[in-house]
Parts: sequence; C-alpha cells; structure tokens
Amino acid sequence: MGFSDFIGNEGTVRRLREAIALGRLPNSLILTGPRGAGKYTLAVMLAQAANCLVQPMTDGLPDFCGSCSNCSRIGQALPLEPRVEEAIAAREELRETDKKETRVLVQTHPDVLVIPPDPPQLLIKLGQVRTVVREIYRMPGEARRAMYIFTSAAFMKEAANSLLKVLEEPPAYATIILLAENTGELLPTIRSRAQILRLGALPLEEIERLLAERRSDWKPAQRALVARLAEGAVGRALKFNLEGYLTSRQDALLLLRSALAEPDHSALFRMTEAYRAGAEGQEKTSGLLRAVASLLEDLMLLLAGQPTMVRNIDLERELGTMSQSVSLTWIESAVKGMHQVESGMRRNLLRSLSLDSFAAGLGGQGRG
Amino acid sequence: MPELGLEQEKPIVQGASMEITVSRQELLHELTAAQSVVERKTTIPILSNFLLEADEGGLTIAATDLDQSMKTSCVAKVKKPGSCTIPARKLYDYIKLLADGDISIKLMDNHWVQIRSGRSNTKMVGMARANFPQLPEFPSTSVTALPAASLKSMISKTIFAISNEESRYTLNGALLILKAESMAMVATDGHRLSLVEKHGENFPGITGEKKTLIPRKALAELQSLLSNTDVPIVEFADDENTLYFRIGHRTLTSRKLTGQFPNYEAVMPRDNNKFVVVKSEELGGSIQRVAQFADERSGAIRMRLEQNELKISSSSTDAGESEDTIETPYSFDPIMVGFNSSYMLDFLKAIGNTGEVRLEFKDAQSAGQMRPEDGTEEFKYRYIIMPMRI
Repeated sequence: MGFSDFIGNEGTVRRLREAIALGRLPNSLILTGPRGAGKYTLAVMLAQAANCLVQPMTDGLPDFCGSCSNCSRIGQALPLEPRVEEAIAAREELRETDKKETRVLVQTHPDVLVIPPDPPQLLIKLGQVRTVVREIYRMPGEARRAMYIFTSAAFMKEAANSLLKVLEEPPAYATIILLAENTGELLPTIRSRAQILRLGALPLEEIERLLAERRSDWKPAQRALVARLAEGAVGRALKFNLEGYLTSRQDALLLLRSALAEPDHSALFRMTEAYRAGAEGQEKTSGLLRAVASLLEDLMLLLAGQPTMVRNIDLERELGTMSQSVSLTWIESAVKGMHQVESGMRRNLLRSLSLDSFAAGLGGQGRG
Repeated sequence: MPELGLEQEKPIVQGASMEITVSRQELLHELTAAQSVVERKTTIPILSNFLLEADEGGLTIAATDLDQSMKTSCVAKVKKPGSCTIPARKLYDYIKLLADGDISIKLMDNHWVQIRSGRSNTKMVGMARANFPQLPEFPSTSVTALPAASLKSMISKTIFAISNEESRYTLNGALLILKAESMAMVATDGHRLSLVEKHGENFPGITGEKKTLIPRKALAELQSLLSNTDVPIVEFADDENTLYFRIGHRTLTSRKLTGQFPNYEAVMPRDNNKFVVVKSEELGGSIQRVAQFADERSGAIRMRLEQNELKISSSSTDAGESEDTIETPYSFDPIMVGFNSSYMLDFLKAIGNTGEVRLEFKDAQSAGQMRPEDGTEEFKYRYIIMPMRI
C-alpha cells in the first residue's frame, strides 16, 4: 500500500506529499479531473498519509502504511459505492419521520467524513453541509488531521452557500476536499476559497500498457478500444464496462441514424421505450447520453480531419460515412439537445419521451 | 445434546461467544441512560448499535455517535464472557415491553443475538464487534471531583443561553471555569449572557484557572444523567481532544470544541446604577401578557421606569398594543429600554419564577442586567441582555 499504487499525475501527487511533509496541506482543496481520474482515491490516500500512525517514507516523502488502525479504517471508505449503498440501506430502515431529515454520509473513521451526493436527486444537500459545519469545529479524536471529502461538485444552492464560511477558514487541524469533474459547476465563491489541483489525462500509450498488464483477459482489440474510450482516466479504463457501453452505443447509433438517414420510427420507439423511470433507467439514460456524446465527438474529429484521434475505432467506417452528411452546426445543436435531455432528467421528465423529442429534433434540424 | 459438542470447539474464538443473564429492570435502567447518545438519524449502521461486553465484572453497555460516547454497566450473571453489538432502538423498545424478571442474552453465529425472558424468545442480528468505534478511556490522572448538585444547577442556569448558530462555534457550549476555591459557568449567544458562580468549593488539583468549553449536547446529556442519580460528585477530566465525566458507574465522553470562548468579563456591565426590584412571578406574568402584542419576529417589549412604577408595554401593527404596570419603589431618573421578551422569560424560568429579581440599567443603549434578589443565595447568578431599539 502507498502512493505507488496511484497511477499517473506524479507531479500533483508529489506536490501534495510535499505539503504533508511540511505540515502545510491546504485547509481547502479542490481536486478536479475527468470521471475515473482517481480524485477520490487520491483524497482517501491523502487522508491516510496525513494520519498514518507508522508514517513510512518513500522517495523521501511521507507515505502511508495502509495497515495501521487509522489507515485501515480510512481505507474502508475507498470502495465508495458499497459504502454509500450501505448508508442508503440504513436510511431505508429508519422511521418514516426520520428518513426525510437524514442525509447520506460515510464515516469509517471518526475524523474522516465522506459526503457523497444525496439520492435521489444526487446533490449535496444542506443537511450534509450543516453536519460538516457542526463536526468540523470538534477536535479530531484519533486523527492528526480531520478530513472532509465532498465527492461531487453538484451542490444544492443553499448547501453551497452555507459551506462558504467554513471553507474560507476551516480550523487549523481540518482539511476540506472537494472533488469536481468540472470546476465550472462550483460557485466562483467556492473556487476562490480553495486551492485547485488538476488530475490530468494519461497518455494513450500509458493506458494501453496498463491495460495490457492488468486486463490481460481482454482481447487486444477490446483493450485498444477501452484505452481510447477511457479518455486518459485510469479508474475508468480499469473498470470499463465495455459490454454496457456497447449496448448504450448501439442505441445511440440508432438515434443518430434515425436522424441522419431515413428514420425507422418503430425501431426508435421500441428502443426509447426501454428507458424507464427509476434509478436503473436513470443510469441507463446517462450511459446512453455519454455514448451519444462520444459519437458526436468522433464525428467532430472526423469533420476536423483528425481521424487518428477517433475513439470508437471499431466504428471508423460507419462514422466516416455519417460525418459526410453532418455539419458542425448540426453537431452543436445536437449537443444542445443532449443537454436539454440531461436537465430534463433532473426535473424528472419522462425519459422515453424526452429521448424521442431529442431524436426528432436532430432529424428536424436537417443535415449538413 | 448436539450443542454441547459445538460449545467445546468454540472457546478458541474468544469474543465469538457470550452468554449472560441479567435482570430486566436493571438492564432497562442502563439502556435508558445509554440510548440517549445513540444518534437517531445516522446512516452509519454501527452507530445505531449498542456494544455489550460481558466479563467477570458484569455487563458493560456502550453507545456512541462519534461525538459523544456513553459507557455504563450493570450486574449480570456471566456464563460466558464475550461481546456483541445489538441494534440499539430495537433492543431498547423490546426490553421495555418485556415483563420484569431475568433476561438471558446469548450470542450465536453470524452476529445473531438471542434474547430470552420467560416465554418470550427473540433473535436480533447485530454487527461485528470489530466495527464498533474505539471509545476513549477515562484518564487516570488529573481528575477533578465536581459537586453534582452544583453542576446540575449551573447547567440549568446557563444551557438556555447557548447559541444555536452552528457557525458561531465558540458559543456552541458553556464555559466551565474552575479555580482552587470556586467554580463558575458562563454561556452566551451574543445577545444575552448567563453567568453563575459559586464560591466555597475546594478543588485541590486546580492551580490558577482551568477553563473548559463543554458542548451543549454534552451538557444536556449530563443534565439528564444528573437528574437520575443521587451520587454526590461527578468526576471530571480532559485531555487534548476529549472531555470525560464519570457519574457513578456511568461515563460520558465528548469531543472538545475548538476555539476561544470570548472574553465575557469585558461585557459585564459595571455602572448599571438604576435598579428596581420586582417579584419574579409578577414580572413573568406581565411580560407574558404584554409579549402577546409584541412584534412576532423580535418579541421586543419596552420597559419604562418612572416614579415608583415599572411599565411594560408593546405594540405591533397587526396585533394591537398592550401595557402592564407594576408598582415598585424606584427613585432614579426615568428610563426606557427595549428587550427581547423571551430572553427575559428564559431567565425567570431558570430561577424557577420564584423570589424577587433585580433589574439593573444604565441607559437605553446599554445592556441590562438581571439577578435574583436574594442575599442568602449560594450561587452568584447574573444575566445580561443586550437592549433593542424600538
């Protein structure tokens, strides 16, 4: 165990470790980077390194042992999804009156609090920020440094505002880490109060090498495709659900085809019909939208004459023909339509209908 | 019996077995004390569990919400020592419903716990003992013995003045000030301040002055513990991060609040030389009546002192206006000050609405002071309220 397990972005990791060595870890920190870049992993590792009881050194910088009582308890928060599921299950068992006021929190170590977005809206809510504000002024019991990790940048408006005061001046012993895929989602007043560190994308070759090492069970063609689709994010590459993506992409292609070629409405409606309400449908829809986005990106790259950068390499030919019938304006309007579907999802619009209207809009706006 | 064979193999795994018998009444008594720290609205499953540990000494019950922890014990017949965790609320509710008598608690495989009493037989599933957070241990050095009765009275005289605003974290508790021969407690929310002192104590371990900020939650917990006990002293200790209170066989710990309590001595009024003495009951009644017609948000009322008269009045555009007059000796210059009625009522409630209370003023822009007018009172109790402009 140790920082050696963190792949890529050596510079950023090094800087943070140096800060720990000097005892100058920032009190408020924004870690930004694409989905799967390792923001959460790094945040948990930082919490471990700042509180490890053994305090080993590697390369002359502080590391963590992963096995002392602090490290191991903090490390239990690392598989975030099962922890969040546990928390949600615990909430389900509460009394009806308490349920409404209870917010999902993960706290495997008394002084390290992880704040995931609260379902079903998947936003950070006021109750969660209030808990942080209350807890942060209590001295850490067993840790040297108390850590508060917000795993999403999607805040309810009131929640973001009530974080400002504590974010500006947390107690000396505490660090607040905000994880953001896109810092633009955060209020400018939040951004200006925290130090921003970026986790960049890894070069394609490095991801391919890593996949060859850890995912030798995949076929080379699969690995090549995944390496491109992961967009330089390690976590995404290693955990890539290719099958799921391919299914979503099949539907995405159907959407685009029906817009660009003769529309086959019965096939389209049969497909969109499958995107139902509920958590499962929500996941499925965002998968579809992601697939649409990656296809649109590829089309744009082809239009721009950059075929080497295309990600969906297995579809090169079909995308090639498609690209001849689209224009940049069409792509732009398609992206806008996609955002509309996304924001509609937050407002609980009927998914199948909003997808239908998206597809119709694509066709209606004409082709290039 | 097939069970016997199993039991003989088991003892190697210590802690995986536990079997005790305990009286329902005693168990319920201790569970009642411990369950109040169990956080109702938590999504961290282990925190909604009690930790039960049995050894030669009897049964220990522990609960925590990571801020506070409570440990208590009761006599039990321990057949097999060990430990287990049990869902707190379910256990408490269930034990309440059982008839008096002996209860046997037995830990089975996979964290199942069997509870038998008379003809009732229940199984509940707990969690692994290892998941339960480690609780801070009561320190063995620098323990101060606080008189329980004084502490209880001081808490009830200050707790209502503690700030509810979480961002004003240095005001989220009451400050306990211990000197070699006195103890005092002070709390404020920035609008009013409550200070109570008691001299003639004896704390041999204290040199100089020891100031400790006790969070409101811990004070409330202490208050309920103290009201259910007749032990004469509370053992108090602290270390860098934690406060410890031992009341008889129960131990309460609380994480410390950070930050400096403001310099309250600087706000104590010095030259409030206009004063009036009134009966608490009479004053309370008048304020309550008049406050009905005060502005709903501020609750502001006017106190006007004139020749041998205290006039309390209020007016609001919606409700109307109201005035009460209390006759009482007053010979200073007339004065009029506005106050928040609920702050005044809080104080009167804290002194039990009995006896006489002395109101001291300087002018309309300065803080007013209230104190019980009772020379023999063993506590020196002062209450300062900021004025309002009306």
